[in-house]
Amino acid sequence: MQVQVLSARFDIPDAHKIEVAKENGAYSTLEKVFSMQPEEVIELVKSSGLRGRGGAGFPTGLKWSFLPKDIDKPVYLAVNSDESEPATFKDRYILVKDPHMLIEGIIICCYAIKSNAAYIYIRGEYTTQVKALQAAIDEAYEAGYLGDTINGRDYKLDITVHRGAGAYVCGEETALLESIEGKKGQPRSKPPFPAVEGLYGCPTIINNVQSIASLPFILTNGADAYKAYGTEKSPGTHLFGISGLVNKPGMYELPLGLPILEVIEKVAGGVRDGHKLKGIIPGGSSTPVILPDEAEDLTLDYESMAAHKTMFGSGGIVVLDDTVDMVKLVENLIYFYHHESCGQCTPCREGLGWMLKIVKKIIRGEGEVADIDLLLELCDNIEMKTVCVLSAACTMSTRSYLNKFRHEFEAYVNGGASTQTAM
Amino acid sequence: MADKVKLFVNGQEVEVESGKNLIDAIGAVGIEIPHLCYHPALGADGNCRMCLVGIEDGRPPIVPACKTKAAEGMKVLLDADHIKKIQHDVMELELINHPIDCPICDQAGECKLQDYYMKYDGQKSRMTVKPVMKAKKLDFGAGVVHDQERCILCARCVRFTRQITKTGELGIVNRTDYARVNIFPGRPLANRYALNVVDLCPVGAMTSSDFRFKQRAWFLTKSPSICQGCSKGCNIFIDHNREKYKDDVIYRYRPRLNEKVNGYFICDEGRMTYKAENDNRLTTGIVSGKETGLSEAVEATRRLISEAKKTVFLVSPNNTLEQMYAIKAFAAEAGAALSGFSDGYIQEGDADGYLIQDDKSANRASFELLGIEGSKDGFDKAVADADLVISFNNDLSKSLAEADLNALLEKAQLVYIGTSLGTCASKAAVALPIASYSEDCGSLINIDQVLQQFAVAVVKNEPAANLIEVVQQLGGSVAGVKEARAGLMESVAALKDVNLEEVPEEGIALTDNEVSNVAA
Amino acid sequence: MSDRSQLIETGKPFAFDEQRDAEFERLATRYPTRDSLILPSLWLVQEQEGWISAEAMAYIADRIGCFATQVYEAATFYTMYNLQPKGEYHICVCRTLSCYLLGKQEIVDYLQSELGIKPGEVSTDGKYSLEEVECLGHCGSAPVVQINGEFYEYMNVDKLKELLATMN
Repeated sequence: MQVQVLSARFDIPDAHKIEVAKENGAYSTLEKVFSMQPEEVIELVKSSGLRGRGGAGFPTGLKWSFLPKDIDKPVYLAVNSDESEPATFKDRYILVKDPHMLIEGIIICCYAIKSNAAYIYIRGEYTTQVKALQAAIDEAYEAGYLGDTINGRDYKLDITVHRGAGAYVCGEETALLESIEGKKGQPRSKPPFPAVEGLYGCPTIINNVQSIASLPFILTNGADAYKAYGTEKSPGTHLFGISGLVNKPGMYELPLGLPILEVIEKVAGGVRDGHKLKGIIPGGSSTPVILPDEAEDLTLDYESMAAHKTMFGSGGIVVLDDTVDMVKLVENLIYFYHHESCGQCTPCREGLGWMLKIVKKIIRGEGEVADIDLLLELCDNIEMKTVCVLSAACTMSTRSYLNKFRHEFEAYVNGGASTQTAM
Repeated sequence: MADKVKLFVNGQEVEVESGKNLIDAIGAVGIEIPHLCYHPALGADGNCRMCLVGIEDGRPPIVPACKTKAAEGMKVLLDADHIKKIQHDVMELELINHPIDCPICDQAGECKLQDYYMKYDGQKSRMTVKPVMKAKKLDFGAGVVHDQERCILCARCVRFTRQITKTGELGIVNRTDYARVNIFPGRPLANRYALNVVDLCPVGAMTSSDFRFKQRAWFLTKSPSICQGCSKGCNIFIDHNREKYKDDVIYRYRPRLNEKVNGYFICDEGRMTYKAENDNRLTTGIVSGKETGLSEAVEATRRLISEAKKTVFLVSPNNTLEQMYAIKAFAAEAGAALSGFSDGYIQEGDADGYLIQDDKSANRASFELLGIEGSKDGFDKAVADADLVISFNNDLSKSLAEADLNALLEKAQLVYIGTSLGTCASKAAVALPIASYSEDCGSLINIDQVLQQFAVAVVKNEPAANLIEVVQQLGGSVAGVKEARAGLMESVAALKDVNLEEVPEEGIALTDNEVSNVAA
Repeated sequence: MSDRSQLIETGKPFAFDEQRDAEFERLATRYPTRDSLILPSLWLVQEQEGWISAEAMAYIADRIGCFATQVYEAATFYTMYNLQPKGEYHICVCRTLSCYLLGKQEIVDYLQSELGIKPGEVSTDGKYSLEEVECLGHCGSAPVVQINGEFYEYMNVDKLKELLATMN
């Protein structure tokens, strides 16, 4: 089931070094790219059907085409390497194992959108990863792939690594821009959209690491080669992260569209012996939980996920078995989102803390049935009332547990706390 | 005139100004969209979420009104159930961690949380868990006291210090519900407009140490007036109250919007000038060091005038246009010389290019209009052979060194017709109390040639006579403000197109030409 | 999240050392506005001192030419900035989702009893500090612990014992 499109060089020893990467094809597509008009590059990416791999799945080429024409301001690329959604750990492999694939992708993107400056926003927690990335960038400057000329061509491009410092919300693209500008990572109201008014008030494209890293393959092999993977509407491959209570957790590159249960069983080795599958978080902590029987016909693509009232998200799959206490899991999740709320909008700032305290009250055995209903009501009252979707990430997932595992919440309320615990 | 667009609010067609956001555009035709963080002087921030409105057929269907411009044909929903529910829900969330200590909160009575709770929420608290605790009674400097628990984090105060004063002393630190407004350690509020954050705060989080616990807001009478702390003429509210068995006392000044003059704000020094209206006031006549009634002081003054060989009338740059007119007329009738010497009212270099002006008097521009000469030379010449100087509320001690003042008073007697005790009142042969501006009315012309009027705000238990009355009692011919205005309109070219009886609230801009015509 | 707004003052002025000074100036050429230097500067201070004092924030603000409150806001918003001295070994245990499912609590409990400190505290000898942090992006090799920036994957109590032994 596994394929090697993005991960083609992951297993090659020292592929993070520019010499080894080049021997194995890195930067080989640049000449072809520079022979094309920028608009042609955008068209090719559009026709590949590549969709943003950060979570929302917005078509990458289409995003680029939103840049205003005939602008007298600089255009910026911001590469989103914040990767903070719990259960997501895919971009990290690119940063460490094949950073030159990312750099080559950045050159392609910047050429297409006519930008001379890219910022890679990398989460602060990625301490060793940022060193690996910076080393690769230094190599690329040294080798003439970055700087005042690119591969001998009169085209200037600088890449600057900007480190975050512990704020999940900076994965939201406008919070990311604020953070590069030196501010708190508080998302901006849209409109204006970043393509029109982004970093430093200039037109800006923000793409996920994996989206950008997909470009060298697409430019080298063509749109059809990319579309040969995946489904019609969700073409290509994805670096799925499978974690939780499975035998072989890890990162696996798979084409989109595979059945999720089969992937869990065959790729990740299934749930641990003696245990039963209880639920699946299909695309990162914010995506609504799926019950095993709901997962029967669920495939790993945007459309199937939407049809099952959940989301493809970041492709971070978490497997939950029959030992998991769903009430405590919800506490863990709400704790996270409360901790990460930027504190800007009233509903998120005040509401998530309230929800957390109510869940804690239920766990302490002091809750009432009315508290479960209050939690559900708060999910409705908070959701989509804010500038960004951080609170919605919390409420959409929380609501799914409240609805699908209500009996576990009721057990706490009725004095018989769940006997099933993860630990 | 700005362009107009037609849109629908709750199905009803209204015509509003285009280019404005929905709060301002629809607010201008009397339909309120609730909001906490938006302030027209600070722009839209969009954090409170109280102004979310529905847009029928809109994408997205719910938008923050503060960030949405009025557009032709837009169908705005304010009273739809789902919008009312948002307002209700946001209010509930605003209040869950709020201490609800209204009984001891200065803001009570003029608090947006109270108003909106009554209007949009109105339910019993469902908060059964422990609220977030934060710090209280933080001294932010400049007389501003902060309560982090009352704060709703609308960031108005932060934006004020960053956008308006550009001093940036305030910030919102932490995130999530631990977020709070604070100063950086050792760098308190240090700008001359800091107390505006108290007015800007929609709740009781920012209080003025000067006003704290002095009065309940609902007992205060809020009278519109003009600040006389400098020549800017900022528009203010005089908030005053007559407590039972006590006198009418001013408790605070607050800025009053006038886009043509001061916008939404006033400076802190100006704000504090209210104290001079309450304290250290001259309330009786003084003749030869003895307190008397007004009539004895008037008699004594008339006697001095009749005995004097030469009298100089010293006008104050704080006198109103009407007062100046009456004094000038009286000077002509009494054969007195007229001077507006008041150099001491000017603090060279104090202006900041914003509201604060060098000239700490309110109406010097009227000197020019009436041809009143204010130079030191002119004054020296006028007093050279004078044996009587009558100051009409001009504090000569500001403009003359003590020795010079004493030298002057050795050869001339001083009559001080004024509002306050102090050097002039104590050195005067006769002192006569008059109503101060908060107890009087009149017209002022500010440094930018804007003519504005103010009305009587405070009525004391024993009101002092106003200056024009006193001038009349001394022998002047102008019977009152009405007569003064009639005379001004008739005799001053610059005012020939101005109806002083109908000056609009925001004032009238006199063009430079008109003023220079008069001076010529 | 806890209240991070109480800054510690050292009573001594702060300045970048030569290396950080050069790095600051290099970074200044990379951004069109000076405010963008706020986060990188806070990192430089933390690299140099291990934590960020009130004086260091004031230094950054004056050096960049921004308001001290801007630096204060950033330093308290981003939780990786240490606003107090940390232990020689700063141990961060991931507490989120996959690490939670795979037993992060056992690790935290073990460290608490072994080091005698709770999350957020520093041992009295200054050797260890413990913190529970949000998702570290190593969910596929959970539970994960990060010590002085190095990741330790598939952790359990036995492995921790070995690891602590190397620190003695």
